[in-house]
Amino acid sequence: MIFMIMGCEARAAEAPGSAAEGIYAAAKPRLLQIRTLVADAGRQTSNGSAFLVSSDGLAMTNYHVVSQVVLEPNTYRLEYTDADGSHGEATLLGVDLPNDLAVVRIDKHAAPYFAFSKAATGGSGGLLKGERLYSMGNPLDLGFTIIEGTYNGLVERSYNERIHFSGALNAGMSGGPVVSADGTVVGINVATRRGGQLVSFLVPARFAAALLTRVGERQSTPDLRTEIRQQLTSWRTTLYRSLGEGGFRSSPLGSYRAPETAAPWFNCWANTNVGATPKPRASVNSTTCNSDSDLFIASDLNAGSIQIVHSYAKSIDLNQFQFATFLTQLSQPRLVGGGPFRKYYSPQRCSEDFVRTAQAPEHPALRVIWCAQAYREFEGLYDIAMIAVTQDHDSEALVSRLSLQAVGYDDAVALGRQFLEAVEVTK
Amino acid sequence: MIWVEVLSRQRDVAERFRIAGPEARIGRAYDNDVIVDDPYVAAHHLRIFRDESGQLVAEDDGSANGTFLDRGKDRLTRVNIDGTKPIRIGQTLLRVRESNHAVEPERLARPERGIAPIVGIAVLGLAIVGIDALKIWLTQTTDPRLSSYLSLLMIITAVLAWAGLWALLSRILSGHPRFVRNLLIALAGLLLISVYNEVAQIAAFAWTWPVANTYQYVVVWCVLAGICFLHLREVGQARLWLKGAIVATVLVTAIAAQALQQSEAFSDSGRQNITRLLMPPAFRAVSVRDENAFFREVTELKVKLDRDRSEALPAEVVR
Repeated sequence: MIFMIMGCEARAAEAPGSAAEGIYAAAKPRLLQIRTLVADAGRQTSNGSAFLVSSDGLAMTNYHVVSQVVLEPNTYRLEYTDADGSHGEATLLGVDLPNDLAVVRIDKHAAPYFAFSKAATGGSGGLLKGERLYSMGNPLDLGFTIIEGTYNGLVERSYNERIHFSGALNAGMSGGPVVSADGTVVGINVATRRGGQLVSFLVPARFAAALLTRVGERQSTPDLRTEIRQQLTSWRTTLYRSLGEGGFRSSPLGSYRAPETAAPWFNCWANTNVGATPKPRASVNSTTCNSDSDLFIASDLNAGSIQIVHSYAKSIDLNQFQFATFLTQLSQPRLVGGGPFRKYYSPQRCSEDFVRTAQAPEHPALRVIWCAQAYREFEGLYDIAMIAVTQDHDSEALVSRLSLQAVGYDDAVALGRQFLEAVEVTK
Repeated sequence: MIWVEVLSRQRDVAERFRIAGPEARIGRAYDNDVIVDDPYVAAHHLRIFRDESGQLVAEDDGSANGTFLDRGKDRLTRVNIDGTKPIRIGQTLLRVRESNHAVEPERLARPERGIAPIVGIAVLGLAIVGIDALKIWLTQTTDPRLSSYLSLLMIITAVLAWAGLWALLSRILSGHPRFVRNLLIALAGLLLISVYNEVAQIAAFAWTWPVANTYQYVVVWCVLAGICFLHLREVGQARLWLKGAIVATVLVTAIAAQALQQSEAFSDSGRQNITRLLMPPAFRAVSVRDENAFFREVTELKVKLDRDRSEALPAEVVR
């Protein structure tokens, strides 16, 4: 579980005259805090950090720090505060939803600003594992702080590219810069792993540099709401294309072969009820693969996660009716949305039938349930849950579940086909 | 000879007076032939005698509250007596008959109740208990527990209580409890619901036809309404159309209420509150479709989803 950071407990530099002291002294006039205010009330509802990236007042922060203003521009507005305590209005210029970045303009001219690290923007090869990094921001609205941590390469099995930073990020630091010893930005604070210790994530600086270039080339600010729709659509197209291209390979599970994704950005776990008490009357061995591709869209909406679950169930002393009841419990189509139903989704629609993908003996008859819901606000996005239960035997079965969030319908149908075709019997 | 009968509210004979003379006087006073203890009756209210043609006639003796025929609203001073329509004085109903008044022929006694209804009850009861016990057993996927069969006792108790209530009602209103018939009706209804439930569940899997299962409540209400109508008929055969109309109204209201509640629950949660049942593979009654046919159907869902979406789209988002 990753949660967006908002603050941090500062770990003071141990010795006077440390590198951190010098870095903070240089960075101080370039740091900002960004507050989201309810326009009518004039009070903050959330805050995050930002940093200046140009002499004419452009500042970089996280999309999730400013998302309320993007989605509800009439209700919320932005304000910045710098380290001296002066504050003023901030205007949104552009966002990068998949990389959780945003650019704002503030009324500051000829101010010093951060440069992006050449090593970081040219690719991640420039940084070495273990290299000391310094993260800055305003944790928990307590004041600007600097934190030391270590660069630990890119996060493995993550669809969205993130730097693994071992340092204590806290709520409120989102959008703050992370610099190397030479003071150039290598990443932007974005998230921390809930339940982890000092496990934090940064957006690589090259995405920020790219967004800055894009915003700089633009003559006027587009409707950001439309822009995030477009970004979401193109992001999910790429995501599901890369899932489809990798395809599904059949991997053995009990008497069956179950579709397993070839994509490298999944976390897979196995589960069994063998040791359960009271002694189970049917054994279940499951594998669960979750994609690390969740995208923050709004404070109450995440989308883009993919889940593949296979459960191989075999009756121990259940008769065929009892076993069917047991399978019924395993195969309910739970369509899991990433936000409140009434706000974001259309009602669920389902289709159910007996299906065989090929007349060959290794392709069993399947009972397939397909349930889908559309996103109200994002045209062409759907959540899909497909469950297939093998029908070739009355005392053992494979229950396979494919859940796709924020997928295009045609992509989902194509993936669903591939998935079903990879369900096989080994006997 | 004249017979004067005082009727109860249910029009049973409460008192009967034999008048030997040619004339009968009716009222509250003690010099009458028939004394009526009704404060709304005059001391000397009614006089009954034969006119010139020998026809029995009742004549009001100048009472304040008057004399009426049965439920009539017209105040009468003189009434020709036919022996069937009662005369109303004050709050009292009177029927006057001659000794030669024709009576209904002797009703034949019903034959002794055979063993058949008892056998029927036993068969229906066993069928219901059997189906339910089987269902409990076949859906038990965890440790078998004897206590899960206790629900059978509840069902038996509920049916007996239900039939007992109707018997009580019947006893109060028509005088005969008819417990056996009421029990038969209740058992038959319950068995119908039980069997329908099984058939609907099998249909949802075997024919991929979940509608019968989704709208099961409609059938349950219909059966319940049917049972209630039959019970009401046991209570009394009179005004069956009215009883039918009342039952039908309650039925329509109940179905509409449940449909409304379900549709609101659906629009709140976006999920239909149904379980997608699986049965043993051998129950499949339709042929397995090929992948293309299934995904064609799945693709058609998209149209519905997009329509739902455009209907659900809040106005403020369209900009």
